[in-house]
Amino acid sequence: MSARDTIFARLKGDAPSKAEADALLIAPERPRVDEAALEAEFLARLALPSISATHDVIDDMAQLPAAVARYLESQNEALTLCMPPDPRLVACDWQGFTLHDRAAPDEAAAIAVARRGIAESGSLIFETGPTAPMLPNFLALHHIVLLRVDDIMPYLEDAPLPGVQPRAHYWITGVSGTTDIEGTYVRGAHGPRFLHVLLLRQ
Amino acid sequence: MSGFKDRADLALADRILKVAVERTAGTAEAKRAVAVDAFPDFEAARDRAAAIKDHVVAHLGAYLEQFEASATAAGAKVHWASTADEACRIVIDICKAAGAKSVARSKSMLGEEIGLPHALAEAGIGRVETDLAEHIIQLADERPSHIIWPAMHKTREQVSALFKAKHRSPHAEETIAAMAESARRELRTQMLGADVGISGANFLIADTGAVCTVTNEGNAELSLVPPRVHIVTAGIEKIVPSMPHAIHMLRMLARSATGAALTQYTTFYTGPKRAGDRDGPEEMHIVLVDNGRTKMREEGLAEMLRCIRCGACMNHCVVFRQIGGHAYGGTYPGPMGAVLTPVFDGLKESRELANACTLNGKCQEVCPVRIPLPTLLRGWREKSWREGLEPTSMRAGLSLWAWVATRPRLYRLGTGMAVRAMRMLGRKGWIDKLPLVGGWTRYRDMPKPAARTFMAQYKKERRS
Amino acid sequence: MTKSVALFVTCLVDMMRPRIGFAAIRALEAAGCEVVVPEGQTCCGQPALNSGDRDHAMALAKQTIAALEPYEAVVVPSGSCAGTIRCHYPEIFEHDPLWLARAQAVAGKTFEVMAYLDEVLGWKPEGVRVDARATYHDSCSGLRELGIKAQPRRLLKAIDGLSFAPLQGEETCCGFGGTFCVKYPAISNAIVGEKADAIDATGADLLLAGDLGCLMNMAGKLNRKGSKVRAYHAIELIAGMADGPAIGEEA
Ligand code: SF4
Repeated sequence: MSARDTIFARLKGDAPSKAEADALLIAPERPRVDEAALEAEFLARLALPSISATHDVIDDMAQLPAAVARYLESQNEALTLCMPPDPRLVACDWQGFTLHDRAAPDEAAAIAVARRGIAESGSLIFETGPTAPMLPNFLALHHIVLLRVDDIMPYLEDAPLPGVQPRAHYWITGVSGTTDIEGTYVRGAHGPRFLHVLLLRQ
Repeated sequence: MSGFKDRADLALADRILKVAVERTAGTAEAKRAVAVDAFPDFEAARDRAAAIKDHVVAHLGAYLEQFEASATAAGAKVHWASTADEACRIVIDICKAAGAKSVARSKSMLGEEIGLPHALAEAGIGRVETDLAEHIIQLADERPSHIIWPAMHKTREQVSALFKAKHRSPHAEETIAAMAESARRELRTQMLGADVGISGANFLIADTGAVCTVTNEGNAELSLVPPRVHIVTAGIEKIVPSMPHAIHMLRMLARSATGAALTQYTTFYTGPKRAGDRDGPEEMHIVLVDNGRTKMREEGLAEMLRCIRCGACMNHCVVFRQIGGHAYGGTYPGPMGAVLTPVFDGLKESRELANACTLNGKCQEVCPVRIPLPTLLRGWREKSWREGLEPTSMRAGLSLWAWVATRPRLYRLGTGMAVRAMRMLGRKGWIDKLPLVGGWTRYRDMPKPAARTFMAQYKKERRS
Repeated sequence: MTKSVALFVTCLVDMMRPRIGFAAIRALEAAGCEVVVPEGQTCCGQPALNSGDRDHAMALAKQTIAALEPYEAVVVPSGSCAGTIRCHYPEIFEHDPLWLARAQAVAGKTFEVMAYLDEVLGWKPEGVRVDARATYHDSCSGLRELGIKAQPRRLLKAIDGLSFAPLQGEETCCGFGGTFCVKYPAISNAIVGEKADAIDATGADLLLAGDLGCLMNMAGKLNRKGSKVRAYHAIELIAGMADGPAIGEEA
């Protein structure tokens, strides 16, 4: 008998009822979010010490390169950016920047577009795809994220997008941190040490 | 191998260990309290979390089938292992088929449980532990002492010395940040050059076939995205029906473990790289491991299958806080380890773990899925007693006492005599050496009993 | 209307500190109860239960149930013994419908003494005076099995002259754990050592708690380390018996 058969032989039982599984999700306990003030709620969470992301606001996409430049200059970083081939990003005027689309092992800064922001936790939601690689967001020291204000949703339940799931769906809620030595929090364990969110108010 | 008591004595003598454990567990305890307070109705949330897991465990076969079908449809290959050895063999075979020279491993307690680090070494496959704590453990050639902070037992001074001895370009400055930076330098290239990435799973989503990992360091993603092959090893109890169920569990997990609302990185991997994707592995293998879980379900330990490995029970355990994790001697320490270790190592070898607990109930009070840990430990004690594994002196003593205690008149006589005998040993209200309970008087005094028992005094009073 | 209650003394109080039993009687009588001490009682069986010795635990449970079931209510000056009767007796007889019913009946009317005085009777001590500063340790079984937390504090607050010093880690186990403290004396000692330090750090004159086992453990450690803190079962103060010897003091 295969291991699979052995295991299933011991787990015979009736199929779960969908209704029973759904009933477990009615009115979940979760952090309170003022749904009328999603942006403020989201930003308040972003600023928490556990996330300590910075943010800036832009009114349209044309302002994006300048906002990125402002941030990198404030961090004393060169205007070198790992940028995925996302058409919304590519369409901007990046004059003055050195761009590349594959992340180097010691990448200084990468930009990405978040699919959603979640007010409950201050999380940024990403999904992989042909124009959205994953690795740069974990390699770069500075992770710069573009998020449309309209994409801020109240709860984590709003994070998954309907339909076929992408290869990777991931939530970023802060920077790469560790408490592995004496419980002391250190930023930039392996990946980003800084997270900067650019809110697009369009 | 030394016994539990020897290991505990060693641990108790190690004051550095005590400091190290206190620093991390103490912080975790304080932060959890704040997080739980801030959460609306955490108690109801615990009920829900327990109900979700019970529902899954009750229908485990059906959910596993569903997961297998959806993961397969997403392009992953699902494997099944009844035992730890089988699981390791499957992983090694995949590595060999991929021609892997090195694997990057993202911390997984199941991997420890099945002995994967050892199996990889035997197969001659290089292993890079990418979680900072596991990296420390690997360098020190030790075993994890906690399920969330495997290197909890190490102080900063010890880590510093270790890195200086083993890193190619170690830190110069004696700060924790500089040490972490040293590890970052050391690990990054090794991580990116691995042929295979191996992880565990925090949750398996039945309806989408997704595998969820959570980390604060982002090391899972860095270990699993670049290599050509991603292997997941997961216990069959990790299933949840759907994403919203996982979300509820995730809300409980980080708050219980570290007091954070969420871990920094939460990723759901559904199959290998898709056409057009710019990164991701070409193959994804999911090894689903039983290793005693179906047996637990049948033999009265189904509640233990709710466990989401948050570590709250050990952080809040008075015994763990004194002796740390290594003294337990198994893969899993603390209260949950004391329940699980007999399943893996046999009760004969680990019966002491169930006994080395005051049954104070704190672990159950903080467990996010309300596992009645003290009840389960009592269950092991009963089994141990039934099977005659408890020491003869204990059995004889308890039997004699019970024999007397079930005969009230004889009992009155006996207690009266015991009181008189004890009083003869006392000086000024206290007894500092008492036979039979030498363990007590070695460390503390025993108050001298009153001249007559309550029953004797009461009878006399009522008669007069 | 006077209530007739049975006192389950507990084996530890019976042997080691009868004053606690008399204090319980005194407080209950002051609250208008008529107290009886049933003959057939010895030990509730907790040591057997917690050692895995089901058969003896069952035998003692049966004896205790038989001794206590004739009474209107059962009062116990110990959270852990009351917890055994209330929470664990029904578990022990899970598969024995006859005894299960009897166990449940007794469980339903069994109370820890301070919870009974406070919650059931709504009573408070009157005219009791203790000029001292006290700190309170919440014993685990009472706290977690029976929810005993506010009740003793409410009763103690009614004592004139008594002030309180909060104990750091008041809900942390003292390391007693019944047979645990003799099976694993070194671990137990490490735990109670920390507890004793925390008690000393409060600067209190008195250590109070609701379980004699924990009290003996903590008081024994305090004495060994030369502390001046004196330990009493809270019911002793509540019953106006604080003038007597503390634990480990000669009468
Ligand atoms: S038993 Fe409960 S508290 Fe302990 S690790 Fe498992 S889920 Fe967490």
